[in-house]
Amino acid sequence: MTPRRVALGVAVLLTALLAQTVLLSRLPLPGATPDLLLVVVVAFALAEGPGSGAVTGLVAGLLADLGADHALGRVALAYVVVGYAAGLVHDGPDRSVLLPPAVVGLAAAGAVTVFAAVGILLGDPRTTVAAYLRGTAATVTYCVALTPLVVPAVGALVRRLDPHWRRP
Amino acid sequence: MRSPRSTLLVLLVLTAFTLITLDVRSGGSPFDGLRSAVDSVVGPAQRAVSGAVTAVTTAGDSERVEQLEAENARLTGELRRSEALQRRVDELDRLLELKDLGTYPMVPARVAAVGSAFGFASTVTIDAGSRDGVEPGQTVVNGEGLVGRTVRVGPFTSTVLLLTDPGFTAGARLTREGTLGLATGDGAGGLTYQLVEGGRVQTGDALLTTGSQTFVPGVPVGRITSVQPAVGTTVTTAEAAPFVDVSALDLVGVVTEPPRGTPRVPLEPAP
Repeated sequence: MTPRRVALGVAVLLTALLAQTVLLSRLPLPGATPDLLLVVVVAFALAEGPGSGAVTGLVAGLLADLGADHALGRVALAYVVVGYAAGLVHDGPDRSVLLPPAVVGLAAAGAVTVFAAVGILLGDPRTTVAAYLRGTAATVTYCVALTPLVVPAVGALVRRLDPHWRRP
Repeated sequence: MRSPRSTLLVLLVLTAFTLITLDVRSGGSPFDGLRSAVDSVVGPAQRAVSGAVTAVTTAGDSERVEQLEAENARLTGELRRSEALQRRVDELDRLLELKDLGTYPMVPARVAAVGSAFGFASTVTIDAGSRDGVEPGQTVVNGEGLVGRTVRVGPFTSTVLLLTDPGFTAGARLTREGTLGLATGDGAGGLTYQLVEGGRVQTGDALLTTGSQTFVPGVPVGRITSVQPAVGTTVTTAEAAPFVDVSALDLVGVVTEPPRGTPRVPLEPAP
């Protein structure tokens, strides 16, 4: 991974974090806050594969955890798992336009599930079936809605940085 | 043999688990410094946007000004009438050494963000932090009553645990009977009220905080909406609706200094 690629990742994640905490979290949407960072993690995973997805997931998750009230590492763990899994999806120039929203939707459901599972392990009283269903429905909806704005943009940035980049 | 890719996955998952374990250990988290650092970056941006939103929403609008002027005239008249009443109330207050909610030192704040990771916790972020004198575990109120308490406090912003969160519990007494109990959030916009000792509770009763190390006393909490008959248990449980509309919070106050005394008489909030 080149220093320029690291700088790109940090810049995109910090921009997403600011947009998420300053703008998206002000919206009075029901259920949950739109999770822009999750969509960015999946976008890097789709563009570069499971290794990039997992590392981006850890960094993005820690940024989200540091601004939140829950135990540090819970969102990071969720993002690592879904970033890795999303990177395993075959992706190429011939991909269907429906592939990114489908992968993002599944990743969102997976992330809420991992987050809830750790909540059960830690004995968090908020991890109820109702909260899980509400959180999943809202997170999947908002993440899929953000996909057409985020995934092509991140893909273009990655290709521009290295036009000869080939997915491993 | 493992591929290097899956080794990376195992390594990162273990990292996340290690961090979770370190953070939930009792006796302070080693990551408080990092949390402050993130808030120092994000907090000022949140404050700036809060200020901008206020400026935009209050920008000149002549029709609105006229409306407000008419309302102002009406309220001034009402104020004069209530001044006479207020003098009487003040005398009674002094007599009872009653501390009114308005006399607590408060830091005003605006809600800068709502929601938590995947919507599990009922929290909001306010644009006041340790630099404004806010500390963890302080009472947060608005004009209607109890909003919650501060949990995580950064230099510029703080997280407020709302009273409807399942992790929220406050001592509360019934205004009519003075019976003590505990109000806990039910995670679905309401409260569950449990009587500590025996006693009667009726639909329509109002709840006020009793006052503790965290909560100042006499803050309106909510109103009983239904009572479950105590079957096979000695504990009476009731459902209550908070006075505060947690889905439409804007301006709140953080009580930064604990009260010196507890009120003698619980006051019923205006309906």
